[in-house]
Amino acid sequence: VFQRRGARVLLAALVIAALVLVTMDFRAGDEGPVAGARGRVTAVLQPIQEGIATLIRPVTDAAGGIGDLFAIRAENQRLRAEVERLEQRRRSTVDLERENAELRALIDLADRLEFDTIGARVVALAPSGFEWTMTLDVGTDQGVERDMPVINGDGLVGRVIQTTRSASRVLLAIDPNFSAAARSARTGEIGAVDGRGGEPMTLRTLDPEADLQLDDEIVTSAYQGGLFPGGIPIGTVSAVGEPGNRLVREVQVAPFVDFTRIHHVLVVVGAPVEDVPPLTDLQDLEFDPPPVPPTVERTPRGPTEDGDAGDDADPATDPDADPELEGEVLEGEVTDAAGRAARVEALAPRPRRAPPPTAAAP
Amino acid sequence: VIARTLVIGLLLVTAAVLETALFPAVALLAVRTDLLLLVVIAVALRDGPLAGLRVGAAAGLLADLLVSQSSAGLGLLVMTVIGYAIGVARPYLAPDSWTAPILLTFVASLVGTAAFGTLAMLLAEERAAPALVVEASLLVALTNTLLAPLVVGVVGRLSERFPLRGAATERAA
Repeated sequence: VFQRRGARVLLAALVIAALVLVTMDFRAGDEGPVAGARGRVTAVLQPIQEGIATLIRPVTDAAGGIGDLFAIRAENQRLRAEVERLEQRRRSTVDLERENAELRALIDLADRLEFDTIGARVVALAPSGFEWTMTLDVGTDQGVERDMPVINGDGLVGRVIQTTRSASRVLLAIDPNFSAAARSARTGEIGAVDGRGGEPMTLRTLDPEADLQLDDEIVTSAYQGGLFPGGIPIGTVSAVGEPGNRLVREVQVAPFVDFTRIHHVLVVVGAPVEDVPPLTDLQDLEFDPPPVPPTVERTPRGPTEDGDAGDDADPATDPDADPELEGEVLEGEVTDAAGRAARVEALAPRPRRAPPPTAAAP
Repeated sequence: VIARTLVIGLLLVTAAVLETALFPAVALLAVRTDLLLLVVIAVALRDGPLAGLRVGAAAGLLADLLVSQSSAGLGLLVMTVIGYAIGVARPYLAPDSWTAPILLTFVASLVGTAAFGTLAMLLAEERAAPALVVEASLLVALTNTLLAPLVVGVVGRLSERFPLRGAATERAA
């Protein structure tokens, strides 16, 4: 009982002491006796604490290292995924940049040449190794027709050879079946560029002695009503053959277009009208027919021949001699009645020639 | 008695140093472990209210001066009361039960930490928000419960080696 009472008294005293301590510390703040005692206790025990810390630091570092290992592994995986994602994004950015440059070049060329064009995407390349074609995602619904030229930012790609409503096939310029009228941009020498089933292409010039040098630019020509509007870049001369004894001089042309990397093209649906109008449109053209050599050799006539033969040289009286002239006379200057009568007389049917003597004899 | 006082004092200092130097460095135990409170509980469970009271006062003072940065006196108050209360409750526990001391450790740690946190909050300590007090109380109670068998065992051995005078009579009572 005494112990319990003593314990209660002690408890009460300690509680009161604790409350006093709390009050003192609370009122004194950081400068009271309690704070001083705190400092001293800390100073006494601090070396021990530091010793323990020094002792256990390697152990805790190792334990922390093990703990970190999992975190690092997880972070490693996360960072790998991040790198993968960024790499993919970078790749797609590179692709977008390339596509952007390609489309810019496309628009630039179309603007420069003032063509009406339809943009198209290449959806397929040639199905086999011996034909060089590609399929576009535009067709007749978009206004694409056969034989329309196809270009990209670098130059001539080919021509449309087949169309459906929503797709079309293009014969590439390097296909052996491809041929286009072309000229040298520097000298204007005219020829034809043919595909050879790969690079380079060949240029056949009409003039075997044509002035062609390496790196001369070859462009399409509208010559002879060719399929292509003039001025579309084709390529540059990469090799010039010797004139030699062949009639046509062979020149190699390296195309501007990289046919393995075509993604976007333009189909030329309309080109500006050439400045040179067709000859038939000219009304005031003086037509001076060249002298036509006689088709029948003139021979001295014998006395047995028809008397009319002497009129052979007079076209006015012999309609058979020059039928064209006859028309001219009919529409010509003869206006007076006498002249007309004379023409009518002249046009009256007459025996074309005398019957052969052999026929008259019996 | 002097030896026992020294041993218990050393035990408390060791507990305080471990609590401040070792536990923060070891990830698992850095959670929150009130080793001093655990020693007080263990002593009170073993030796009764008076011993619990004294050890609680010493541990509380040590905690106030070394471990805690709250107002000094709070630890003294809480641990003294906890030590006394555990000592008073001790005769009502089954003597050979293992679960009863552990449950009591859990409850005492929970109540002690909650009381300490609440008082600190009342004294306008910025750190102590109600949610924090609840969380800390639960964590301390759990970790103390985990460590309870070890600490109770050590304290029991020491008490056997350095018995409290009149412990036998108190235990009989």
